[in-house]
Amino acid sequence: MKIALAQISPVLGDPERNLKLHLDYIRKAVSRKADLVVFPELSLTGYTLKDLAAELALNPRKSPAFKKLLEASRSIDLVFGFVEEAADDPGPVYNAAAYLSRGRILHIHRKVFLPTSGMFEEGRFFAAGRQFRPFDAGKVKTGLLVCRDFLHYGSSYCHFAGGAGLIITISAAPGRGVDEPRSPGFQTSRMWELMGEAVSFFSSAVVVYCNRVGYEDGAVFAGGSFIYSPFGKKIAQLPYLDEKFEVIEVDLQEIGRARKSWPFRRDERPEVIWQSLEKIIRENHED
Amino acid sequence: MKINLPLVVKTLTGFIREETRKAGFDRVILGLSGGLDSTVCAYLAVRALGPQKVLTLIMPYRDLDREGVAHARKVARLLKVKFREIDISPQVDAYFAAFPTDNPVLKGNKMARERMSILYDFSAREKALILGTSNKTELLIGYGTIHGDMACGINPMGDLYKTQVRELGRHLRIPKEILVKKPTAGLWPGQTDEGEIGLSYEELDRILYLLVDRRQKPDEVVAAGFERKKVKRIVEMIKKSEFKRKMPPIAKISSRTVGHDFLYPYDWGK
Repeated sequence: MKIALAQISPVLGDPERNLKLHLDYIRKAVSRKADLVVFPELSLTGYTLKDLAAELALNPRKSPAFKKLLEASRSIDLVFGFVEEAADDPGPVYNAAAYLSRGRILHIHRKVFLPTSGMFEEGRFFAAGRQFRPFDAGKVKTGLLVCRDFLHYGSSYCHFAGGAGLIITISAAPGRGVDEPRSPGFQTSRMWELMGEAVSFFSSAVVVYCNRVGYEDGAVFAGGSFIYSPFGKKIAQLPYLDEKFEVIEVDLQEIGRARKSWPFRRDERPEVIWQSLEKIIRENHED
Repeated sequence: MKINLPLVVKTLTGFIREETRKAGFDRVILGLSGGLDSTVCAYLAVRALGPQKVLTLIMPYRDLDREGVAHARKVARLLKVKFREIDISPQVDAYFAAFPTDNPVLKGNKMARERMSILYDFSAREKALILGTSNKTELLIGYGTIHGDMACGINPMGDLYKTQVRELGRHLRIPKEILVKKPTAGLWPGQTDEGEIGLSYEELDRILYLLVDRRQKPDEVVAAGFERKKVKRIVEMIKKSEFKRKMPPIAKISSRTVGHDFLYPYDWGK
């Protein structure tokens, strides 16, 4: 499977220009014979939206931008980020990721963990998603995550327990921390890679992380997108801070091989985890 | 407090390039005092945009800082950037002739605001975005003039402590005499920042780093080996100067108010 990573810098609050940017990169990915192209979090709108979040929300069933992207998905699978407002429940808007394939919406994941502290204020402008659900993407069962979701390891666990062999995280992660003189990137970049390595190895899954670059309101997005193999080996690392497009060959057979070498998947007991969690939650609520 | 210098340079030059373009400019303007901050900022700007796209103003008041002017000229020549010297004495003197004072802080603030006013005028004439040169130390303790040297279009260096700016200056190979001289706000002859603040930048920055970056409580900073009196003073300076770091509060009476719940990004549509 050939996966294209589009480490781009969307224009803040200009979906039309961003749609054009997407279509350009999609054409590029198609010409490079990629099977899937992945864009960063909120790639159709930019990240620091504040009140614009509600104004730029799309209904995937009606949006003209979705129509164009659905057309494009006849030649290649797409993952991108947008603000979703559901047709049957208007009002709340979600920080969402869509997976489109062959002219259809295969899945929409609404970000569950909205960072709302320090420099982040997502909880002020977005409603939180309520589930992690892997889906059949044709070649491989796939799980979608949006940025901070990935740093809560329960999210990836749900995809693993649900049988995903490919976990895709789209991200708009700012770089922070420059006090390690010898590290090539920000301290926070190391944090994402640490999680990528651990999740890919212990889930025996391909882990794809597509982060954005560029600046918004003083924050710098760190880039550094990557792919880890099901053996926990880094097979792609895009540069920090620079815009970059890369197509990476990923061997999906490695998922089965890894799961034979390290039978974490075979030996997993989600029902035990579930029962334990249930007890923990019940007890905590009885306090 | 060591910083990854190549990463910082890459991030800040990218910031200058991208934010200048987004603001609708293709060049920048800044005041050169001959001191560390404006020198480092000029070096970053030249790295980001090239010398053709960087304009500098040298704005002395009488002979208050002759050495600074000489250093500023040297920086402009070394960087091959356009510079213009504008003596601010006539307008400052005219004002204080009408409203005399012996208070050097009042005079210093007035000078800072004259320079600001000239920078904004030249920004419009030359279609160049103003680069601010305030560092994190100054911003945190409020060692700057509101609507004076703190006014700017963008500020590339506001998250670097003074001692880190010096480290960056060494990395960028700015003239040695600027690296080693005592920082001064140029308020009166022989004035130094450290003399006025009553602390060395090394000590000040280490205390600020613990309080701000490491989120330590004042007692914990004292336990780390710093004088209680100094820590307390710094905490007070931070508190007292918060107004300089904020837009003024707007009295809210309607259901949607600028600054309260009318919230849009700075880089909207850019």
